[in-house]
Amino acid sequence: MRKNKAMIFWFCLPTLLSLVIMFVYPVCRTVIMSFFQVESVTATVSEWSFNGLGNYFKIFGSASFITSMRNMLLIWLVGGVFTLAIAMLMAVVVTSGIRGKKFFRAAIYMPNIISAVALATMWIQYIFQYDYGLLNEIVQLFGGEKVKWLGTDLKFWAMTGSFIFGSVGYYMLIYISGIEGIPQDLYEAATIDGAGKGRQFFDITLPLLKGVIKTSITFWSINATTFFLWSKMFSPIDTESSTIVPVIYLYDMVFGGKGITTRDAGAGAAVGVVLTLIIIAVYLVTERLFRGSDLEY
Amino acid sequence: MKKILSVLLASVMVLAMLAGCSSTGGNESKAPENNTPAGTEESKAPEGGDQQSDGKTITMWSMWSSGEPQANVIEEAAAAYEAKTGVKVNIEFKGRDVNKVLSASLEAKEDIDIIEDDYKRIGTVYNKFTYDLTDMAKAANYDSFSYKCLNDQSIEWAGYLNAIAEQPQVGGIFYDKDAFETAGITAEPKTWAEFLDVCQKLKDAGIAPIAQDSAYCDFAFYHQLVRHLGEEKIEELDMNGGWSGTAAEQAADEIIDLINKGYFVDGAPDEFPSSENKIGFGQAAMIVCANYVTAEVNNNTGTQVNWGLFNYPAVDGGADNASAYAGANSLAITSYSENPQEAFDFIIFLTTGEWDQKMADTAAQIPADSRNKAPAVLNGTVETLLAADKPMTWCAGISANADVKDAIKSLCVELFEGKYATGADFCAALDALYK
Repeated sequence: MRKNKAMIFWFCLPTLLSLVIMFVYPVCRTVIMSFFQVESVTATVSEWSFNGLGNYFKIFGSASFITSMRNMLLIWLVGGVFTLAIAMLMAVVVTSGIRGKKFFRAAIYMPNIISAVALATMWIQYIFQYDYGLLNEIVQLFGGEKVKWLGTDLKFWAMTGSFIFGSVGYYMLIYISGIEGIPQDLYEAATIDGAGKGRQFFDITLPLLKGVIKTSITFWSINATTFFLWSKMFSPIDTESSTIVPVIYLYDMVFGGKGITTRDAGAGAAVGVVLTLIIIAVYLVTERLFRGSDLEY
Repeated sequence: MKKILSVLLASVMVLAMLAGCSSTGGNESKAPENNTPAGTEESKAPEGGDQQSDGKTITMWSMWSSGEPQANVIEEAAAAYEAKTGVKVNIEFKGRDVNKVLSASLEAKEDIDIIEDDYKRIGTVYNKFTYDLTDMAKAANYDSFSYKCLNDQSIEWAGYLNAIAEQPQVGGIFYDKDAFETAGITAEPKTWAEFLDVCQKLKDAGIAPIAQDSAYCDFAFYHQLVRHLGEEKIEELDMNGGWSGTAAEQAADEIIDLINKGYFVDGAPDEFPSSENKIGFGQAAMIVCANYVTAEVNNNTGTQVNWGLFNYPAVDGGADNASAYAGANSLAITSYSENPQEAFDFIIFLTTGEWDQKMADTAAQIPADSRNKAPAVLNGTVETLLAADKPMTWCAGISANADVKDAIKSLCVELFEGKYATGADFCAALDALYK
């Protein structure tokens, strides 16, 4: 069929325009804004004053931003290890021919269907509740003393644990789709050769899932970097050190918080740029680590 | 033919997309002619308020969500106002996060006549876009039925009266009168020593004296700090550090003393709203908070606590022993509104008389019109607000420094958790934030 270049252009135009207006323009504006002193996110360019790297120095000199970055790193690292490991374990169990596979798959995925607000409320107001919460009931059942799960010492980990619970199902589905794509004859041959389930997992499943793992790490990195709602739920009135993450810091910077009316959209833009660079860096590193992992069966 | 059809289709798609991206219909056609900033000669209120208004439409952006009690009253008042004057009030309920979109919308001069938000934001963030209400307020004799402390504060922030209080708030120590009676307490404490005495009597009667949720630890400690240092000094310390060696140590010591004496309810500081609910369950008697705590506790626990309120006790040698937290959700008119008089008339219609009383009763709020009666759960709040000289802010002193604000909040929670043996330790932890 003869290619009609003009026609291709006209058909691409709506999408291209959408992309430029809704994606490229805001990205460029944000990057440029990060080098300017800007109070309001919608201030006209004439109101901007050049600030060089001032906004970057400001955020990296801020104790709150550093705390938020540390929290985000912990969520990414510790939360990532637990979430992806548990998701992998669940995926392997569910695809191992276990009875009630559909039930387990649905049950583990269930938290992803429930609104994160409802899920966080359940954790905060029931499971972690000091007086009648599930965890303290269990602790007392074994003769222990009630624990302040949402005190300053444990709040971060309580939030991360809840987030892990809400995230496992999603990554489990990704792994299940990957595992189900691996030809069964590989496992049959391995079984005939006398390989046990563990050996099959480490020598067949895991190597052949490299591409899927790479994708899930990228997805998890994006999730951890844009972590927001759970932090808001665990600090309902105002931001606290134990739950602050960069997006919350950005949000407070750009829009102000309870009792705070100062705004700094330029610094907020700088935070946005830093987060974007982090995601790009993680993506490039995982691409390098898992190079050549895309397989076709 | 195919080519033409394809080009036409693509064009239609582009046009449809651009139309979708544009702002709501009709906004552009109502480009304001009067864009002068408030406070200038042109922005002054028009003479007289009885011009022919029939057929006009004013637009209000509300901070409530449709279906909430406040939203219902506003809608009903708007309908009544239209029936009375012929002016239609088009209300857009934007929800509590209205502040996230208001700045951008005001900068874009969207078709808004009335905005509703926290009065501090109206006074400090949106003030470039608000109308000078001084003359219209004078004509309506607004001073005679409003709260002076709130008006003065608005004028101090904006340079002129730019907000009309709609839902005033007042803070202090809210308490269960029945619990006080059970413990044989006959008078509200006015000094710290009297307060400690009240706490002991409550404890002796088997009632935990104080409930405390972690979300409000900074607000509670802020009261103690304000009493000892005053807000100006607190802000100075917040910006530069140097807490050690100041009266902040004594303030922290007094909180530690409350903890050591076992005056906080079991579990405090608890996760909001667990601790405040304990007042509804009869397990605790007092809480430092703003007036909405009364409705929250009653709703959460399904009880009708016999609420009372007293100002935070005075401390020995305190720098500010009188101020009380006061704030408001307020209404303002945009500087570019084409119908400022109609907008003002509606605001007064909503915040006075029958509709204000209805708002107070329906949403359990303090009436904006001081001639109206506060609901039973807020007994004494109108008097407290009328008597207030200069309102205390919501932790503005310890929120001024964005770099340490969150850390200070967490340290306040730790203070109430009993992690510091002395006030000096606590202040040393505060100072460590500045290194």
